[in-house]
Amino acid sequence: MKLLIAEDEISLQQSIISYLETDGNVCESASNYEDAIYKVSLYDYDIVILDINLITGSGLEVLKQLKKEKKKAGVIIISANNSLNDKLEGLDLGADDYLTKPFHLAELNSRIKAVLRRGKFGGDENIVFNEIRVDTGARSAYIQEKPMTLTRKEYDLLLFFITNKNRVLSKEIIAEHLWGDHSDLADNFDFIYVHINNLRKKLTSEGAKYIKTAYGSGYKFTEE
Amino acid sequence: MAKKNIKIPLLRKASKSYLWASMLLMVLSTIALFFYVRWLLKQEVEEELFSAEARIESAIKAGQHPGSLSPIIEVNEVDELKTAFTKDTVIYDPSQDEMELFREFSTYKNINNKSYKISVRVLVVETNQILWAIILSYIFIIFLVFVFQFYLNKSNNKKIWNPFFYNLEQMKKFSLLSKEPIQLLDSEILEFSELNKEIALLSGKVRDDYENLKQYTEDVSHELQTPLAIIQAKIENIINGPSVSEVQFNQLASIQKDIQRLTQLNKRLALLTKLENHQYTHRENIDITDLTAQIIANFNEISTISLTFEKTNNIIAKMDPYLAEILCNNIISNAIKHSTHKKPINIEARNTLLSVSNFGLMPIANPQQLFTRFYRETNEFKSTGLGLAIVKKICDLYGYNISYNYIKDHHCFLIDFAPPEAARK
Repeated sequence: MKLLIAEDEISLQQSIISYLETDGNVCESASNYEDAIYKVSLYDYDIVILDINLITGSGLEVLKQLKKEKKKAGVIIISANNSLNDKLEGLDLGADDYLTKPFHLAELNSRIKAVLRRGKFGGDENIVFNEIRVDTGARSAYIQEKPMTLTRKEYDLLLFFITNKNRVLSKEIIAEHLWGDHSDLADNFDFIYVHINNLRKKLTSEGAKYIKTAYGSGYKFTEE
Repeated sequence: MAKKNIKIPLLRKASKSYLWASMLLMVLSTIALFFYVRWLLKQEVEEELFSAEARIESAIKAGQHPGSLSPIIEVNEVDELKTAFTKDTVIYDPSQDEMELFREFSTYKNINNKSYKISVRVLVVETNQILWAIILSYIFIIFLVFVFQFYLNKSNNKKIWNPFFYNLEQMKKFSLLSKEPIQLLDSEILEFSELNKEIALLSGKVRDDYENLKQYTEDVSHELQTPLAIIQAKIENIINGPSVSEVQFNQLASIQKDIQRLTQLNKRLALLTKLENHQYTHRENIDITDLTAQIIANFNEISTISLTFEKTNNIIAKMDPYLAEILCNNIISNAIKHSTHKKPINIEARNTLLSVSNFGLMPIANPQQLFTRFYRETNEFKSTGLGLAIVKKICDLYGYNISYNYIKDHHCFLIDFAPPEAARK
């Protein structure tokens, strides 16, 4: 998979690239507006990660350029601006998703996968991990083709785990993915533990022991 | 104290003082005029009496006897001479056939070796009439002048002060939200013109400061996001790196938690600033009961504390949908955070009231500070300390009443969604 990371903060750009490259993706970078415009018109990408405030211009202009040239790339906007208007403007212009800084790389990763899965990019709605199959269209999961009964949060959790397989996920990252702005609530009563435990039980009862504890308090979804 | 609070409109105040001053002047001048004219008339009468007496005296000297013409002139021969005197006297006047007041001058003279008493009298009624005629016409004229002056003054004042009143209205309408500079009416009066300059200067400065502050808050929260994003991304790469110990991982996870807190804080401060700047002007009808039910469903998914919801009717509020969601979210999440012993939380929608109550061992120590930003009773929860401040700000924005009570071991928050005009009735 080929990605373009258009972000003027080199530190952040490099962190995103090094995170995404471990999955075997090819990542290119653009550090300013001109660079981004140049690369999107010259090459084809599966995903473009676009900062709205590129130092020499607006990421939204890059998005317009992409749409003008009818490029098939999925676009995820990352912005430091939390305002609803910016979000709506970005999505109206044809962006596929919008993330507000700061975000977790695991979150970005799962958003990228979600964008890719959507039909218009020729993706598959099914994600398969060994005997587990998640049908993202129907929002249901199967283990050895046997449907699993999962709550909404357990389903989200399983999907998040599978899209970020082999990565260490701290409770904070998981909480923010599932709880969003209410993740501080999760902290107080260890709700996460309850949800992860329930999911883990449902998986292990079918012999799928993939949710591993990492470093005592983190989690990792892996075969090893 | 009470007197200080009574405010009088400028024009009325000016008219009133004019009225009082004129009234006083009128009374005083009338009194002065009265005495002066009376004195003049008396002088006049006495002079007349003296000259009449002198003429009689010279007539007697010339050997004529003028005779008596009672009650005007009386000449009598007397035995002894006395001192002359003037007095007021009431005498029967046969021509009028009634008792009349006369001014009398009597003198004793020795003429041609005979002693005479000469008395001359003048009817006072006439002089009194003259006096009153003068006084009354004076009052009439001065009153006319005064009334004319009063209305002239009033219309003049109105004209002169008009720019002032107009500008006052403009200033009342002044809003930081509109980008238009304040429109002031210029005046030929120097002080008003100066005042206008100052107002324009001040309002411009206020607007600039406001814009700066707004920009500053936005910039700060905006600029903080990027470094936070970098820190967070780097931590995630470290966690997934090869050589992390368990201790390091826990510390990194704790840093993640703090970044999250900082992010929340940042977001909420930005929201509070926006609320204070009245940047939410969109309003639509929101079904608070439905919204609460949705939020409760969401919380039920993530929380192990049970939330019960009782509704008797649908509360409809005219507000920004985004703020409505934040309001309900914050008030419920606050209850979840502070619910002791994981006891259930009761939420109720009745009439225009939404109540949220959670179990608590003790009432809040300082309920008056409950809605202050960064007020915390304990450090037990790592909250931003802004949740209830935001709730209060939103309620204030729409004029909804919010109250806190501690009833039967429960912290109870009550929001009244009645629009402020209806609540007053």
